[in-house]
Amino acid sequence: MPRALRALRRGITAVVLVGLVLAPSAVDDYTVALLARTLALGLVAVSVALLTGVAGLPTLGQTAPYAAGAYASVVVGGQLSDVGLVHLGVAAAAGAALAAATVPLVVSARGVVVLMITLAVGELVVTIVGRWRSVTGGTDGLAGIPPVRPLWGLPVLATDRARYLYALVVVAVLVGVVLLVLRTRVGLLLRAGRDDEARLRASGHRVALHVAGVHVAAGAVAGAAGSLLVVAQQYVSPADFGFDTSALLLLAVVIGGTWSVGGALIGAAIVIASRDWLFGVLPGQAPLVLGLAFVATVYLLPGAGHRPPAVRGRLLPPALTRRPVPDRPSPTGVRA
Amino acid sequence: MSLSNPRRRRACLAALSALILLPAAGCADGEPAAGPGKSIKIGLLASLSGTYQAVGKEIRDGFQLYLSSHDGRLGGHEVQLVVADEGNGAATAVPAATKLLKQDRVAALTGIVGGGSVAAVYPLLNETKVPFVGSNGRPELKDVSRVWHTSYLSDEPGEAIAQHVRDNVKGSVYAIGPDYQGGWDELRGFTDAFVKAGGKLANPDGKTTFTPFPATTNFTPYFAGIKASGAEAVYTFYAGSAAVDFVKQYAQSEIKDIPLYAAGFLTEGGVLDAQGDAARDIYSVLNYSPDLDNAENRDFVAAWKAKNDGSPTTYAMASYDAAAVLDRAIAAAGDNPTPERINAAIGQLGQISSPRGTWQFSPSTHAPVQKWYLRQVRQDGRALSNTVVGDLATVGG
Amino acid sequence: MAADLGFDPYLVPAVDGVAYGLLVFVAASGLVLCFGVADILNLAHGTLYAIGGYTAAALLDGGWSSLVLALAVGVAAATTAGALVAVLLTRAARRNHLTQALLTFGLALVGGSLLVSAFGPDQPPVRVPAALDGSVVIAGHRYAAYRLVFIGVAALIAGLLHLAVRRTRAGMLVRAAVDDAEMVAVLGVNPARVRVGVLAAAGALAGVAGVLGAPIIGPGPGTADVVLLLSLVVVVLGGLGSMGGTLLAALAVGQIQTLGVALAPSAAPFLLFAAMAAVLAVRARGLATARRAA
Repeated sequence: MPRALRALRRGITAVVLVGLVLAPSAVDDYTVALLARTLALGLVAVSVALLTGVAGLPTLGQTAPYAAGAYASVVVGGQLSDVGLVHLGVAAAAGAALAAATVPLVVSARGVVVLMITLAVGELVVTIVGRWRSVTGGTDGLAGIPPVRPLWGLPVLATDRARYLYALVVVAVLVGVVLLVLRTRVGLLLRAGRDDEARLRASGHRVALHVAGVHVAAGAVAGAAGSLLVVAQQYVSPADFGFDTSALLLLAVVIGGTWSVGGALIGAAIVIASRDWLFGVLPGQAPLVLGLAFVATVYLLPGAGHRPPAVRGRLLPPALTRRPVPDRPSPTGVRA
Repeated sequence: MSLSNPRRRRACLAALSALILLPAAGCADGEPAAGPGKSIKIGLLASLSGTYQAVGKEIRDGFQLYLSSHDGRLGGHEVQLVVADEGNGAATAVPAATKLLKQDRVAALTGIVGGGSVAAVYPLLNETKVPFVGSNGRPELKDVSRVWHTSYLSDEPGEAIAQHVRDNVKGSVYAIGPDYQGGWDELRGFTDAFVKAGGKLANPDGKTTFTPFPATTNFTPYFAGIKASGAEAVYTFYAGSAAVDFVKQYAQSEIKDIPLYAAGFLTEGGVLDAQGDAARDIYSVLNYSPDLDNAENRDFVAAWKAKNDGSPTTYAMASYDAAAVLDRAIAAAGDNPTPERINAAIGQLGQISSPRGTWQFSPSTHAPVQKWYLRQVRQDGRALSNTVVGDLATVGG
Repeated sequence: MAADLGFDPYLVPAVDGVAYGLLVFVAASGLVLCFGVADILNLAHGTLYAIGGYTAAALLDGGWSSLVLALAVGVAAATTAGALVAVLLTRAARRNHLTQALLTFGLALVGGSLLVSAFGPDQPPVRVPAALDGSVVIAGHRYAAYRLVFIGVAALIAGLLHLAVRRTRAGMLVRAAVDDAEMVAVLGVNPARVRVGVLAAAGALAGVAGVLGAPIIGPGPGTADVVLLLSLVVVVLGGLGSMGGTLLAALAVGQIQTLGVALAPSAAPFLLFAAMAAVLAVRARGLATARRAA
């Protein structure tokens, strides 16, 4: 039975992948452009899932390394070369650097406190981006960004289809790398830290170091996604990195199942694509439909939440819970 | 997907992943642009949800008013108006514009509330070679060959009123505005022209005070600074809910007796009702007022009031004019009005008669060369309204 | 800053910070109950405030009786909406907080859309009783009369809330639930009923804040987001579940947003979030140290 299920899953994954590769020839330019943007946001969602589900740090701040990557790939990458791979490298480095700089803020926090700290980091970065006009073009952003070529010697990405396929390849490779890493001992340790931090610490592991590492890695992934966003829409502005984006990404990850990287990608695809699509077809009604969809999701998704909360510590203090947690102090414990 | 997820979950994911392809499949029906005598598709992009929806709805209604009073035709072609939602800014404007340009293949695009959204949509216009007749926000752009605006450039209101403020205020003037591109442009227009005319800013460092936008809802702490500066007048620009907060708090603050001059958006449209008596006597500069006395405006205001509550705003007027511009350009573009021909025809329009008075496109900026009016909030029957009290400079180009 | 030096120019911002902080406290107090007692992350809380605000805008006509009416209707409407959220949460209540966030964020989007379609996209005018619709002069400074009165009323509400939590049976249950939920359940108190009661009470508090706060943070399309964000900030800063801590945090946030802005206008956009991140990070570090020692 498990073998049959695994085969089924592989089959579905293959069908989805083939569908994604063939999509540009089946649909119009608008849908292709929409899918390319969605892929970029899906990659950010993967980084959110890494932090929220795998490391247990629910985050509203992945828009910060995402923004850093996007602007770095335009401003620095644009100076260096017109090769997409170089831009990706620059963007990932910028995202990782920003994440590294904020490690001291998040590494010892837990639960809802992480949410608020990362929210603050995200908002501060957007504010800085909006005010640093000489580099970022201010709140109006940078327009008319020249197209890139994927690798040395290849032609520039001039059409929506080409940009989409480039984004698809990059996302597939990066998600593959993330999945491979999670299969190793590293992934095991991270999940162990999420599920029982005290025990892992007692067995001699430096949990803070693990958390810092995954934070930086997630920053690099989000930074790379920033470069994809720039390629996909040839434009970047602070509006791409606002609070609503980070909130939707977190919810997308919840819909996809916080612990699952593939689920995060699919959740983000559904949420972002339906939002962007709704803004076009149902002018003025998009928030209403999206809100109803969120409510319906909670009622319809069978699996959501049957697992124990996959969050380091808990989001809130253990009031009214039916699971006593005697071996762990309250994550916020200030009230005591 | 190879982590320890339960099996039910996977089947569910598979079903959901099929779902993402659904919107893609449901919307693959691109149509060619208009042929001779056939209908023509026009795209209108405006904020119909979010913070700026009041402005977005005026823009939509202004355009539709022109259509309904012209048999639903522009330049002899029946119009299929495709409306899309700009949302709060670039992040939502880009996909909506992409749909209009690449899926609906509109022959021309109009509307767009935010300057940031225009900047974001701009690469798409160049890619699809579709002309854009904007009716509100306008950022700085390198190449405006396909971009036209029936509204104004953001620094023009301030530029138009600076000399008047210089002549009528005995002393220094405090400049304050919202901290984003629109606010920077509006305030720079005023302060540059004002200082050039020999005026002195009361701000402590001689630079405009900018308030976080849209985060600022409480302006009282800034009023304390204005009081301490000894200013004889204040010049500002806010729009939407920030304008309501600013005006209401100003009227109850310790600087309530200092005259307030503003770009007209401070007291334009629905915000004036929300401000109520607090807005009385505020001076503002704008390219339009519903009480302007000309034939086009009388028709426009009467037609507007027949369909909507209250008087039309400059937003509705600019969108009405965008429809008028497209009407004449499509008529001039011949039997087969392609986007390229429409764009070329807009450049040849010359004088355009409008509810605001006659204006024309500047050949360099593609924005109107137009007269600006000094208005004051006064009692008009039972309601307060922006009453024209004088003409200011003609600015543009 | 040539005319006055010293503290004088900062008197009005400081007083205003108290009014603003107390408003944020009354708005956030319901969220404290949700967090502390019912263990629910209610992202629709700002929408409950907006319901109160729109009610005030619709019913206030400048007379005192309309204020009483608006309070009654606004509180009733927000209480009902809070209870509705609780009922809809039944399915998600035992799940993790992120699922609750998904549901309540969805409800906030729906509620916001419905409010805008009912009341229009413009910010509606709010007409306070004529006697309060002016300004008064205190210590040589002019200040809005309504805000001055609001400080007194909000302080009274805070005091009543304190008494209710300390002295009434419901308050005792609330404190007991915060301390030991298991024991309260053992005592035969139905958790589902507690949840509905707490969310209805939270709705009532948000409704009070919405009606009385409408002249300060007025109803409009963005109101729910502003109030939710400020409430979350003060609830988390206040230590998640502590009324006293939330009050202190709200007063501090009020001063940051007014006195802080007046003292350092150029830093204004960074003040709130930088202060929050710093405080939370320092406190989390302290807790982590305690955790390792334990």
